Amino acid sequence: MNEPLSPKRRLALAAAGAALLVVLATVLAPLSPQLQTYARGLAFAVLAGLSIMAVAFLVALPLGALAASGPRVIDWALRFACDLVGSLPTVFVAAVFWAGTRSISSFVCSLGVLRGLEQAWLLRCEIVRLEAEDPDAAPRSLGRTPLVAFLRRRMSAALGPLFVSASFSVAWLTALDAAVSQAGLRPPGAPTTWGVLLGAPDPSPIPALLAAGSVAWLTVALHALFRPPSAA
Amino acid sequence: MSVRAAIRRLFGIALTLIAVSVGMFWASASYARHAVAERNQQASPFAAFPVFFNPRPVGVRDISTDAVRAIAHGGKEAIPARLALARLGGAALPYVLPALDSLDPRSRERVALALTPIAVRMEVATREELADGSQAVLFWTRFWQDRAIDFRTASVRHLTSRLAERSIALRREDLIHVDTFALPALIDALGRADKVETFDDVARVQRLNSVLAHITELPVFCPPGASVDDARQVVDTWLDFWELHGSEYMALDGPRRLAAAFVETQYGKWLAAVLRGGLGRTKNGERALDLVTQGLTTTSFLLFVGLGGGFPLGVVWTRFERRGHRPLTRLASAVAGTALAAVPCATFVRLLSGATAGLVSAICIVTITTAAWVSRHLARSTMSQSVSPIAAAFSVSAPLGATYPPFVLSAIVLVELMFRLPGLGRTAALSLASGDVNAWMAASLSLASASLLLRHAADLLRPRGGAAQSGIASAS
Repeated sequence: MNEPLSPKRRLALAAAGAALLVVLATVLAPLSPQLQTYARGLAFAVLAGLSIMAVAFLVALPLGALAASGPRVIDWALRFACDLVGSLPTVFVAAVFWAGTRSISSFVCSLGVLRGLEQAWLLRCEIVRLEAEDPDAAPRSLGRTPLVAFLRRRMSAALGPLFVSASFSVAWLTALDAAVSQAGLRPPGAPTTWGVLLGAPDPSPIPALLAAGSVAWLTVALHALFRPPSAA
Repeated sequence: MSVRAAIRRLFGIALTLIAVSVGMFWASASYARHAVAERNQQASPFAAFPVFFNPRPVGVRDISTDAVRAIAHGGKEAIPARLALARLGGAALPYVLPALDSLDPRSRERVALALTPIAVRMEVATREELADGSQAVLFWTRFWQDRAIDFRTASVRHLTSRLAERSIALRREDLIHVDTFALPALIDALGRADKVETFDDVARVQRLNSVLAHITELPVFCPPGASVDDARQVVDTWLDFWELHGSEYMALDGPRRLAAAFVETQYGKWLAAVLRGGLGRTKNGERALDLVTQGLTTTSFLLFVGLGGGFPLGVVWTRFERRGHRPLTRLASAVAGTALAAVPCATFVRLLSGATAGLVSAICIVTITTAAWVSRHLARSTMSQSVSPIAAAFSVSAPLGATYPPFVLSAIVLVELMFRLPGLGRTAALSLASGDVNAWMAASLSLASASLLLRHAADLLRPRGGAAQSGIASAS
């Protein structure tokens, strides 16, 4: 972690970590129904986690930049939206989304948007903080400075907290899933996920430990992948 | 912060809480709709109302007019209409009896016969006297000529207040003779449950309950030896009944109809229950406020001890990680921090120690999760090598405001559920699952308030530079 690694190497390491888990799951799946659940949950966690991250970035990057340096009305609207969605433990919002959406992909996209709003505010605050610390920076400079310069100077420096938050996406999703299952808020026709293993009233120890360990493993891999050059 | 900024911030919090309450109510209504459809769960008594806006609120005039039309027409539709008219009772008479003349003779007899149960309940005639259609028409025509003057709000209120003050059999009979027309006055005379304090109040509730139970034909009892608590329960029962059915016994005209478009909704009913005091009552009959008070201790303990212990621990962790020169130590620290910040570590503890691990384990989990979360954000921050707690607070104020409240509250909900702790998170989760709107709204609004306070506290920590201050202040 101390040695600077190139982005390609970090990506390769993270992919290798995920691949290792997939191999492990494929080997273990035929041994018992619980391990099969673990293997299916792994596929869901990886795919849904990546989708949430992608949607969240799509929402957060333009919205955060606009709120920090663009028209003030966007800043106000983002603040109000974040106050609204952030005022509830996400477990309950997830439970309602899950019950209300017709397909699992729309549920995952809704969670991505939710995550994106939080991350947009995070990005906005970081850009404002950096502008406050920089005596040469003009507030709300988007549109007055070249976009490329803005993205290179301001955005690249402000992405740190966003990356930290993004690296917890799989853990966040699994925790929500487990809590929703534990509370009995899981829809009857929901697909098999790790939430079933972790949130069951009497979980089987080995698959549950495997699932929890895999969450930690994937989070560490994502955290390493998203390490910005300044922290290396 | 200036007084003006403080007022603006407080106003912002209040506005957000109102919007949050609307959002959460929509969430619970939406979830309940799916739960009822998919799990055959028992629907809320208010489920028949629209959620936020009622474009066509119905009062006694609308219901009785529809019922008279259906009864006059005859056929299968007349059966439920007769039942509805009998239930509406005296409250419908000022609209039904004057309309008799406008009906053809056969329809008039049908409607007059449908009113027989009301006459029996009002103790003004027997079934035998009204067995024939023409007799029934004659009876009701004469009744309205003689008694129309009694169906006036002012005189009924006067009768009710006298009955509330002192028991005289004649006053009770006078009220029974106007039947459900007296319901609004009787419910008003009951007052609020918490105002029942002495045995005089108990006696007043008994007298009013006797009339209410008679005219509504509902089995609500307040026996002679009833205690203050029993009487309060009776008052609550009648207030719940009135909350659900009140508009059916009142004419919705003019401004009242306009108000009913918002009041006669699920949200309006919840708001009315909140304004009645105690944040409404749960499905078990408990006050939702008591439920919040019980759960608040556990949740606030977890939240503040977790944050108070976790934040300094996270700062110490980061200092250790930054000052450690051995790469292996730094690697191990980073991996451990990341893994521990992943909330499902609650599962590890539960698997290893069982569900009886209790409050101490839950506090440890929230503290360690917070510490790991703070350390991961500090590790990525751009601040100097010497990590002071104040610099750390400034540095993590943005993620603290944006992502920490939902993160930590979700973690608290998870540990409360896993260790079966009686906190707000568990209460909210279980009440959402069971469709208990009042309990859900009370618990989740408390959590939302905690989250908003955390967000605003983090916002106050935020560093404010001269150049950017105007931009920040405007957003605040």
